[in-house]
Amino acid sequence: MKRFGFSRLMLVLGLAFIYLPMLILVIYSFNASKLVTVWGGWSVKWYVGLLDNSQLMGSVLRSLEIACYTAIAAVALGTLAAFVLTRVTRFKGRTLFGGLVTAPLVMPEVITGLSLLLLFVAMAQMIGWPMERGIVTIWIAHTTFCAAYVAVVVSARLRELDLSIEEAAMDLGARPLKVFFLITIPMIAPSLAAGGMMSFALSLDDLVLASFVSGPGSTTLPMEVFSAVRLGVKPEINAVASLILLAVSLVTFLVWYFSRKAEANRKRAIQDAMDQTASESWQPAAKPMTGATA
Amino acid sequence: MNTLTQQFQRFLPSGRKVVIGLPFLWLFLFFMLPFFLVMKISFSEAALAIPPYSEIYSFAEQKFELMLNLGNYTMLAADELYISAYLGSLKVALLSTVMCLVLGFPMAYAISKASKEAQNVLLLLIMMPTWTAILIRVYAWMGILSNNGLLNGFLMWTGLTSHPIEILNTNTAVYIGVVYAYLPFMVLPLYANLVKHDQSLLEAASDLGSSTFNSFWKITVPLARNGIIAGCMLVFIPVVGEFVIPELLGGPETLMIGRVLWQEFFNNRDWPVASALAVVMLAILIVPIILFNRSQAKEMEGRA
Amino acid sequence: MKMLGRTLLTLSLLGAIATGAQANDKVLRVYNWSDYIAPDTVKKFEDETGISVTYDVFDSNETLEARLLAGKSGYDIVVPSNSFLAKQIKAGVYQTLDKSKLSNWKNLNPVLLKNAAASDPDNGHAFPYMWGSIGIGFNPDKVREVLGADAPVNSWDLLFKPENAAKLKACGISFLDSPTEMLPAALHYLGYPVNTQDKQQISEAEALFMKIRPSVAYFHSSKYISDLANGNICVAVGYSGDVLQAKARAEEAGGKVKVDYSIPKEGAGSFYDMVAIPRDAANVDNAYQFMNFLMRPDIMAEITNSVGYSNANAAATPLVDEAIRNDPGSYPSQAVMATLYAVPDMPIATQRIMTRGWTRVKLGK
Repeated sequence: MKRFGFSRLMLVLGLAFIYLPMLILVIYSFNASKLVTVWGGWSVKWYVGLLDNSQLMGSVLRSLEIACYTAIAAVALGTLAAFVLTRVTRFKGRTLFGGLVTAPLVMPEVITGLSLLLLFVAMAQMIGWPMERGIVTIWIAHTTFCAAYVAVVVSARLRELDLSIEEAAMDLGARPLKVFFLITIPMIAPSLAAGGMMSFALSLDDLVLASFVSGPGSTTLPMEVFSAVRLGVKPEINAVASLILLAVSLVTFLVWYFSRKAEANRKRAIQDAMDQTASESWQPAAKPMTGATA
Repeated sequence: MNTLTQQFQRFLPSGRKVVIGLPFLWLFLFFMLPFFLVMKISFSEAALAIPPYSEIYSFAEQKFELMLNLGNYTMLAADELYISAYLGSLKVALLSTVMCLVLGFPMAYAISKASKEAQNVLLLLIMMPTWTAILIRVYAWMGILSNNGLLNGFLMWTGLTSHPIEILNTNTAVYIGVVYAYLPFMVLPLYANLVKHDQSLLEAASDLGSSTFNSFWKITVPLARNGIIAGCMLVFIPVVGEFVIPELLGGPETLMIGRVLWQEFFNNRDWPVASALAVVMLAILIVPIILFNRSQAKEMEGRA
Repeated sequence: MKMLGRTLLTLSLLGAIATGAQANDKVLRVYNWSDYIAPDTVKKFEDETGISVTYDVFDSNETLEARLLAGKSGYDIVVPSNSFLAKQIKAGVYQTLDKSKLSNWKNLNPVLLKNAAASDPDNGHAFPYMWGSIGIGFNPDKVREVLGADAPVNSWDLLFKPENAAKLKACGISFLDSPTEMLPAALHYLGYPVNTQDKQQISEAEALFMKIRPSVAYFHSSKYISDLANGNICVAVGYSGDVLQAKARAEEAGGKVKVDYSIPKEGAGSFYDMVAIPRDAANVDNAYQFMNFLMRPDIMAEITNSVGYSNANAAATPLVDEAIRNDPGSYPSQAVMATLYAVPDMPIATQRIMTRGWTRVKLGK
């Protein structure tokens, strides 16, 4: 209990630490004055201005789109890689593979970005694709980078799993693919979710890679922000950040609401089942037991 | 119908090959090949051309000449700037990792102990700020930590200090920024590990008379070992090469290898030296990782 | 398998045709500095010509250069600074301009064109868009408070004399984080040629900075703008247009903080942001139309009014806001202009020495 109380306190403090700048961000998005350090009264004009600012909103949507694709691809790729690292016993080039998987983590982003850019340029010259750098190239860069994160998280989990369950399933005749989807995946589900969320965040956050491999007209939100803060953070940026927060809070609320409902339904279903069995097995003593011959 | 599927299946490589091949192919194409390009550049010389480095091979009159310029690497070794920058980065990365661990472990623990719905909500709460670009949040911190900012304003208003404390543009600000940005990356892997702990172990321990403190250190922490390692890797390694946060929050004395690399690349227009630096950085960090993977693999084989 | 191969081939051919057809569409891709154009310039161009413009922004020459030097940047119009342009021309990045397509070329200021020709021989590849000087932005009230009424705000002595710098440390000094712009200022102050390759002279410039290093709060190329405006610092070495922006902001915030700009009498650096067309641009004709559009006096004047930097368009001067036109920082007199030197572009070896020396200065070792 002592440990629990302490960790709860740390959780609260940690969340406060994380959310303090966000709170300030939201408050200042309502600041009527353009200067971030001067309070000019409450105003929603920056939010209204966002409706006109198609460049900024376009980059937000683009970033979100890329982040979604990246999360999906990175989880798929990273899990496969983690699986290979931890389950496939011996194959040629195993050490190389291990290094390849974690290397994107180690390589400085400037160099990853530059090298991918040069690769894309060379590919465009040799085989004609990608003619135009854009969403696809950013997605490729992000996936490569994020898959490394997913691989680390998932392989850590895969390593400590109890192999006997998987072996039992296979002994019972299930093919490896089925075992993977029906047994392994549910056991590593939190790691997959963690990897997916991290990939989404990394992709949304990334500035350096996107600056290198993007093309005309495909700026992402961080690029937009970085190039716009030369003269200081504009309140529109704060407004955008607040909107994103609002959207995600809504999603969080819905998730909480539905999982609460699902949990309540589940409990009720169990209760009903128990009541049912209880009422079925309770027989009034007078009722004769009619021939129960099988 | 059956013959068609059978025919199709004959062309498909065996399941094992697909599982290994798919990620290998992707990584080979989009990481290995670019890396070979980087290596190639690291052996060339800076030049005034598109792209700004000389070719390392030439084929003329049926003679193939390969010229590997080792000057970039020798320069890295000779100039102590790179070594101090690298050590500086390692120091920042190590301290930030420890801070993230100290702060993040209790947080992950508390989340894993909460009810199922609360867990989802808490996780999302932790991740949500990371979905608003890091830059915006770093700028918010700049506003808070600056001499005219909110922190100093608060401290002076309460009378704790009479003078603005210089926090922005110092190493302290960099640590705050790094821990702030990377905390979720420590909490998530820890949570993913802690949530799957078997509670009955702890119950058994307490039944046998162990205090919560004792069970924590003797049972929970060792079981969480893989999660701790994963979290530390995901914080330490990227922070070594981090550029944006030290650039925005750090002062001129914050010497980190990410900034040096950036300078070499952009200000000096010296892609070869920057590439050589990257190759060296990769070599230094990748070796322990490969060794770690190998030891883990041996452990797995021992269990199987 | 054969079916698959054939479908792929057809699809890729269709794709190739589609991308080929696109090149003839009325599109234009522009890559310019952030906050460097009036809010409706692009829209006016689109309405007049029917060309749809993709307008991307960058915030540093280095970012632009990396894209250009990697090849196939995809842009039709880019706006580098003159010292970068010089190197990029030598690397073969740009196409030579066909002046017959630029009827408005005559509107440009011949004096500024001549200065820009130092980086762009015969003005063959670009025209100067905006230009500025690298001087001293300061808070007159605070500086007078610290150094007295006769503070040398019109001279580099304000910062380069250690005793002045030491006093100003209390209210905050910032330098640009750019060795190619700061070191020449010191070289010029010491009487040396700004594009010198003499190691001895460069190290003397470095030593000058080392002496005043302890008094400098930070080195940054854009943070000083908001810091001057809200009073965090009182002296900054900065770009003329940016300091004017800081001034405007300080006024917007109520006027408690005052900001001023001065071009030191010993001479200061000047930079030109040039508009050029990359060699591999896909929409060259549209690019020429855009260039010509930008050279119209009414358009250029509007951009200056909105951005704060002075333009290189002589015909536009009468249309520029009085406040900017009469400001000696933005439109300096002939005498002052004669003291300005263009920011030099240096060979790689010298560049490396300067950058390394600058890192030492920043570290204070």
